[in-house]
Amino acid sequence: MALHEGNDVLGALLMRESLDHCVKCTICETFCPVSNVTPLFGGPKYSGPQAERFRIEDEPSSDSSVNYCSGCGICTQVCPQGVHIAEINTQAKAKYGATHGVPLRDRILARPTLAGRLGTPVAPLANWTLRNRLLRLAAERMIGIDHRAPMPRFAGRTFQRWARRHTPRRANRRVAFFHGCGTNYYEPRLGAMTVALLEHNGVAVEVPKQDCCGLPLQSNGLFDDARGYAHRLAARLAPFAREGVDIVGTSTSCTLMLKREALEILGMEDDADLRVVSGRVFDICEYLVAMHKRGELKTDFQPVPETVVYHAPCQQQGHGIGEPALDLFALVPELRVVESDADCCGIAGTYGLKREKYDIAMRVGAPLFAKIADTAPDRAVCDSETCRWQIEHATGVRTAHPVEVLHRASGLD
Amino acid sequence: MREVPRADVLVIGGGATGAGVAWDAALRGFDVVLVERGDLAEGTSGRFHGLLHSGGRYVVKDPVAAEECVVENAILRRVIPDCIEDTGGLFVTTPDDDPAYGDRFLEGCRAAHLPAEEIDVAEALRREPRLNPAIRRAFTVPDASIDAWKTVWSFARGASAHGARILTYHRVVALHRTDGAVTGARVRNERTGEELDIEAGFTLNASGAWAAQILHMAGIEDVGVVPGKGIMIAMNHRLVNTVINRCTMPADGDILVPVRTVSIIGTTDIHSADPDQIPVTQAEVDQMLDDGERLVPRFREARALRVWAGVRPLFQDARAGAVGDTRDVSRTHAVIDHRERDGVDGLLTMSGGKLTTLRLMAEDLVDAMCAQLGTERPCHTAEERPPGNEDGEPYHLGSRLGRRERTLQEEQLICECELIGRRRLEEAMRARGSTNLDDFRRLLRLGMGPCQGGFCIYRATGILHGVDRLDGAEASASLRGFLQERWKGVWPILYGDQLRQARLDDWIFQGLLDVEHLPSEQEVAP
Amino acid sequence: MSHHDVVVVGTGLAGLTAAVRLAEAGARVLVVAKGIGSTHLSPGTIDVLGYAPARVERPGEALGALVEAQPAHPYRLVGAQGMGAAIGWFKDRVANGSLAPYAYTGGLEENLLLPTAIGVPRPSAVVPETMAAGDLRDGGPVCVVGFRALKDFHPALLADNLGRSRIGAGARAAELDLVPERRTDVNALGFARALDDPAFRGEVIAQLAARLRPDERVAFPAVLGIADPHGAWAALEHGLGRPVFEVPTLPPSVPGMRMFAILREALRRAGGAVVLNNVVTGAEQAGGRVTALRTRVGLRDERRGADWVVLATGGFASGGLELDSRWTARETALGLPVTGVPSPGEERFRPDYFGDHPMGRAGVAVDRELRPVDAAGERVLENVLVAGATLAGAEPWREKSGDGLSLATGHRAAELVLDASTPAAGAPAAAARS
Repeated sequence: MALHEGNDVLGALLMRESLDHCVKCTICETFCPVSNVTPLFGGPKYSGPQAERFRIEDEPSSDSSVNYCSGCGICTQVCPQGVHIAEINTQAKAKYGATHGVPLRDRILARPTLAGRLGTPVAPLANWTLRNRLLRLAAERMIGIDHRAPMPRFAGRTFQRWARRHTPRRANRRVAFFHGCGTNYYEPRLGAMTVALLEHNGVAVEVPKQDCCGLPLQSNGLFDDARGYAHRLAARLAPFAREGVDIVGTSTSCTLMLKREALEILGMEDDADLRVVSGRVFDICEYLVAMHKRGELKTDFQPVPETVVYHAPCQQQGHGIGEPALDLFALVPELRVVESDADCCGIAGTYGLKREKYDIAMRVGAPLFAKIADTAPDRAVCDSETCRWQIEHATGVRTAHPVEVLHRASGLD
Repeated sequence: MREVPRADVLVIGGGATGAGVAWDAALRGFDVVLVERGDLAEGTSGRFHGLLHSGGRYVVKDPVAAEECVVENAILRRVIPDCIEDTGGLFVTTPDDDPAYGDRFLEGCRAAHLPAEEIDVAEALRREPRLNPAIRRAFTVPDASIDAWKTVWSFARGASAHGARILTYHRVVALHRTDGAVTGARVRNERTGEELDIEAGFTLNASGAWAAQILHMAGIEDVGVVPGKGIMIAMNHRLVNTVINRCTMPADGDILVPVRTVSIIGTTDIHSADPDQIPVTQAEVDQMLDDGERLVPRFREARALRVWAGVRPLFQDARAGAVGDTRDVSRTHAVIDHRERDGVDGLLTMSGGKLTTLRLMAEDLVDAMCAQLGTERPCHTAEERPPGNEDGEPYHLGSRLGRRERTLQEEQLICECELIGRRRLEEAMRARGSTNLDDFRRLLRLGMGPCQGGFCIYRATGILHGVDRLDGAEASASLRGFLQERWKGVWPILYGDQLRQARLDDWIFQGLLDVEHLPSEQEVAP
Repeated sequence: MSHHDVVVVGTGLAGLTAAVRLAEAGARVLVVAKGIGSTHLSPGTIDVLGYAPARVERPGEALGALVEAQPAHPYRLVGAQGMGAAIGWFKDRVANGSLAPYAYTGGLEENLLLPTAIGVPRPSAVVPETMAAGDLRDGGPVCVVGFRALKDFHPALLADNLGRSRIGAGARAAELDLVPERRTDVNALGFARALDDPAFRGEVIAQLAARLRPDERVAFPAVLGIADPHGAWAALEHGLGRPVFEVPTLPPSVPGMRMFAILREALRRAGGAVVLNNVVTGAEQAGGRVTALRTRVGLRDERRGADWVVLATGGFASGGLELDSRWTARETALGLPVTGVPSPGEERFRPDYFGDHPMGRAGVAVDRELRPVDAAGERVLENVLVAGATLAGAEPWREKSGDGLSLATGHRAAELVLDASTPAAGAPAAAARS
């Protein structure tokens, strides 16, 4: 069945209808990082197209095991028949939440801007709190965030604030920068590096006011709230898209949300702003490679005599664009890149932070962590912020976004 | 083989009618034997649409039938709730239908005391997003979907619990007549070939579309049983969660019923001379797909799972006239009194009817028998619940999933599509004593999901072999038989996704397992 | 828009074979696919020809005879010679691949007879070393070992049927009560991972050794390791002191996954790239050649420029060919002409499941150089080659030729592209990947 006819996005209902394509081949199960390490999750085939035949909109949800799906999306990528398995699972999790309630913990974790706004003015105290073992143990007992779960550090000054003070460079080519919550509250330096890199390559960067894309709300089953955020973000970015200005992002999970997940899973196919934004959102590496193909990228890179392990996050794979970071690294002299064979680091956004899932997440990521340990690189590289924090937490190896490597290679350090 | 010398009542036919009659008669204290040539519900009952009629379909054309449905619908919901899912129903006026019919429909519902209500089209589309957005009117009715196998098995178990003997795979080969009365039958055990005689004080012919064949054995001819063939197609998942009816005079393909995990479109109506020869034709399949498209746009892009033909036991006394459009034949039922009509005592036949009124049909038939026997025994089937329905809860689609969730980590899932666990399968295999995988397909829905047995049948064969039911030869024969039986219901609708599945299944059964080269019975080990 | 020398559509055996061969010859290769392909579902053996329709003992000879008797059969495109070359290439790739010293054995001279999971002797030409000891022509009793937690393998049924067949010298079954992580339901992959672990291997040996009879060889389900199959198999043979072999069973196919892993790694080393979750929706053409493929990625359309296209989309089983509800068939990527499909009013399938079906051999017809042709036999596109199950003319699951056809035609497609490319256009330096 042609799920998408021409430009017609048939949205959430027909996402579900893709279950008809399932021939039970088990390929998705062989790739599912979660069901391969724990029997608590029945597997993508079980929770997705199979269980969906037993679900009715109006009836209460009866399968709690679907909550162990991490939403990594690998199943959808490998399905040879085009079943939208991960999307079906995400919808099923929301339905379960609607039936049985979404725990307070998930409501908190789903709102990174809330934490960001609260923690930023008191960053040193907030950071200390997050690293205090006793307080973390109390938090685990009270609301269920695992005391070992990797937490980022509040930067104290947001990236938005940096952007307001930055004098934008003028240029023929313009982009709008969708930086995401992670960059804003925890990694503003990454944002600054991204701007510098783009400006270095003759691109003027605008940083519109922006808020969360709603992905963590969607992952935690709070669809109405997620729609609100996605809609508001799209409204802010749409004017750029309509002008023909590309939107570039550094968080591969957030850009994927705008590219397709909000439309497919939240059923926002009628949101005109979101549709036009979806067509013009690019991952930063994707964008740089496109520039390179047009001969617009400065490739006079300085040598970076490092060994790095590159891990393509699940949600980067979900873009279906290959691994543009590797194409860019190939241009950097002396850089030795070891590709991780692993599929998933385990964190899956907020999944691995939860007490009942922390151990599962660590087992999921174990092959990746082992690979990094064996390689003993100078650093690890990964496009998604929550994955970077997980990798650093598990291996102790400093983990950077690909932009950081290119920033250094461009002599901008 | 047990000796079965005598019974009060011999019931011929193990479908809904027969099982209902056995239950009714057993409850009234009769000693009952039921014989069925195949498995229970293998005939019409196992091949029907799954609809528990509200009666709305008949309010204009056949008001008597409509009223019967209204009453029986309520009764069945009370006595066999576990077999019924309260889906509700909608009658919708499609662009091909006359909107004015809707008014006649409402009038007819009022007259039949059928609670129907017109709702906004927008509301209908909100409830059923896949409905044709071009519908012009919509009416709610208390339709429901009913599990025929479960119903038949409930009544049969109930009858057994009251002392009835249920003999499946026993085919009637002759009726005994003595002095103008039927006194019993000779039956053949289809499994062993043994024949035995059953003596019965009264014989009730509940063989539905096969009634004429049975009566022929008593020398009674010219009974106007008009087998009406109809095909139905099960679509892989629930396109709708409410029964959808076209709001028009009864026509082909005008009902879409959600039954458990599938939705079933039906049906056609073609006179068939022989109830055992009911092929599915390409023209009928094409027609059903078009009819489905009228109710649900993009129906043709959804996955068709299985197609089958059933045969309705319509009755039109041949002495009354020629057979026209079988759809014009009344859907209500009638007791054929052979004492009056043919001068034969001790025999009554139930003709016509539909599953929705099975209880009433049974009551009428047993009442008529009591009248002829000159005894007064009241009917209790409107109050008693047969086994399996004790908790009084209607069926919910999610129940199998909920059950599976509770055993997720302890029990292997054998049929994944239909969520059948290993313990359940092994229990059924031990209890049933059958070596036929097809029996388990009917009982548990094994292999009836999207993969049509691609994954579960090899597992089930291995388990059946292990439960000591089969040796290798029987196991292999059963597997091949299952594949052949399954293919019958698949090849006429093999397109799209189901063709992909069939190819994968071919790779598994032929490419990987090489089942067509299983050693046959004749081969001897060195 | 990206540009590659060759875009291969499909990640099954045909697609990966073509891609690896081309990439190793220096072409810039991109593989696009909707998902993972046939490898994970196939037995993992290279079946060349099993039945034609009698059981085949010498596949090389039989292949020649088949091509004579059935001129429309896709084996005519490669012949015994092409099949032999492909086999040689494949065996070499595996032996020097990422799972070495894991290797395949066998060839075109004679078929082995391996038991299937239901105990039927099935002819296979080229098999993993981990299966070779199951050759039923060698005679000798077999002890079939299963695991209670593996519902996809039933040793007693296998042994029973094996005993009844005219081949083999008797078989019996044994069930081990060993399960990784104390789970009740573990699939083949779960067991294969466990058998990568020497500790688990030790437990298997410990539980089994004493129960075996002196002259028995041991059959396991195909779970003898995923990352270290040679190690697992060798350890069991050594520990049990007798021949050990594995039997392919229901998917997921561990031997098939090994095949995939080896070819995928070979492709990566040769600089080829794979992009999943991409559906080919059409192509841009000029002058009888495809200049770019259009793919759908999520909600976006991408253009992928290519000098050559190898179409290995897997036929009806994976949506490379589609039959709609009005009984018209189409090839879904490029809309190539499909042959062998009866018209809407005619019979497509017949009631006897095991008999002949008119639609059995439907697919895309090609000329001797694998280019798609129309009903008149005229080439439709110059630079598109078709390989694998999308080809018309065969019923691989019946004649037991599936992986043989895929391997041979994928290999031949690569060869044809390399022959036709000029040195300048066809063999630039491989993409620099460290």
